[in-house]
Amino acid sequence: MSGVGRPVYLDYAATTPVDPRVAAAMSACLTLEGEFGNPGSASHSFGEAAAALVDTARVQVAAAVGAKPQEVIWTSGATEADNLAIFGCAEHYRERGLHIVTSRTEHKAVLDPCRELERRGWRVTYLTPDRGGLIHPEQVEAALEADTVLVSIMHVNNEIGVVQDIAGIGAVCAKHGGARLHVDAAQSVGKCAVDFAGLGAHLMSLSAHKVYGPKGVGALVVAEGGCGGGVRLTAQQFGGGQERGLRAGTVATHQVVGMGLAFSLAMEAPEAESARAAQLRDRLWRGISELGGVLRNGDAERSVPQLLNVSFEGVEGESLLAAVAGRVAVSAGSACTSALQEPSYVLRALGRGDHLSESSLRFGLGRFTTQSDIDSAVAAVTQAVLRLRRISGS
Amino acid sequence: MKYSEETLRYFESAAAAGELNGPGTFRGAAGARSQGTWVQFDLRVDSGLIREARFLAFACPHTIAACAWVAERAPGREVVGGLPESVAELSRRFGVPVEKRGRLLLLEDAWIDAVTKAAPR
Repeated sequence: MSGVGRPVYLDYAATTPVDPRVAAAMSACLTLEGEFGNPGSASHSFGEAAAALVDTARVQVAAAVGAKPQEVIWTSGATEADNLAIFGCAEHYRERGLHIVTSRTEHKAVLDPCRELERRGWRVTYLTPDRGGLIHPEQVEAALEADTVLVSIMHVNNEIGVVQDIAGIGAVCAKHGGARLHVDAAQSVGKCAVDFAGLGAHLMSLSAHKVYGPKGVGALVVAEGGCGGGVRLTAQQFGGGQERGLRAGTVATHQVVGMGLAFSLAMEAPEAESARAAQLRDRLWRGISELGGVLRNGDAERSVPQLLNVSFEGVEGESLLAAVAGRVAVSAGSACTSALQEPSYVLRALGRGDHLSESSLRFGLGRFTTQSDIDSAVAAVTQAVLRLRRISGS
Repeated sequence: MKYSEETLRYFESAAAAGELNGPGTFRGAAGARSQGTWVQFDLRVDSGLIREARFLAFACPHTIAACAWVAERAPGREVVGGLPESVAELSRRFGVPVEKRGRLLLLEDAWIDAVTKAAPR
């Protein structure tokens, strides 16, 4: 649901509003009357109280993703977590090897660090997904080399919503022995089950603001042992030794408290919420597909219900986004670089041509999306596409 | 991207969008859909004057707005010369970013193509 006079918000994959219960818990950590202490100040009760809240949040986040509390390292978000995982792992194991495997559909927070490592002398293999957006374990297996030290594959794709077979890829990495598995799970919590230990992952990046928590906080889960084996990282930030020495800096109590509660709330009846989202997503797809000349991007059978990515034939991408912007807030399947839009590299990796990669919309459904929102979105998109097709003579 | 009020007004109304057919109509086009921008102008000409103009555009909002503006101002103009405003003036009018000025050149090419076909020989 959107505020009065505002467009319908269907960009939950970009960010979510903070749940009011989360906002209240965060506010209680900010002022003199609340738990504002430095959680690192063990010498007095203010610090102890804050530290207790941080510990609780760590337990909540760990519980939501099937990890141990001590494996959770707070960061400023998933991007920092991805950077710490990739640079930290690559540097720590550089004597063992200089090869990394990832995919062409990863988030830039993974691709850009990999490209930077290439500049520093590492070799990176970029796997191409099938037409549905899936990376298959056998592809990873074929790409592994004797000196592969890291495999980084995302769990839920942020543009098309497909869920990768992380357990299968984890098994391949375990068989190889030397390849650690990093999973960017920024889009996963609240959308599908996440079991860090069960997936065989060594590292997992998490974000709070995709799960009705605040922006500016996330976590990297770092395996300390168990069936998948532990992983060591070289720290990328120095100045206090917090977070097992991996992420120096005062822990932001209010932020992590918000993330902990947000993750805990996401675990309340997730199946019911997924079923509700699936109904709304199907209603949206049925409505839009009546236009004809629309193509669904990503494997529909292997996608989370909160994401729908659609390409429209006969319309130009930037005009499509502009035409719906006043009535529905969605993301384009393209990236703005300066004033020009570029086709989505994710959709291009799926084999879509430039035009269809550019003329796509990503609909992100969420906790507060209603059937009325969906109907409004269908009406807005239908009207915009028909008008643009008329203007373009399509 | 932010658009000016004038850009949005012409993009959203696009009153002159469409095609003209029949005697005395001339068509010019430029660009390609496969390359992201395609523009077409139809002009109905009588006694050396443009009586009516329509456009089709597979293009960004800036280009559609500029096409709509040009087509709206065409009636009554002689079938000679270039656009009612230069590409530079259109760029300023609609706040077209420098990276997108090439799209207005396609608009100009389509206009000149139509005018050239319509001009008395």
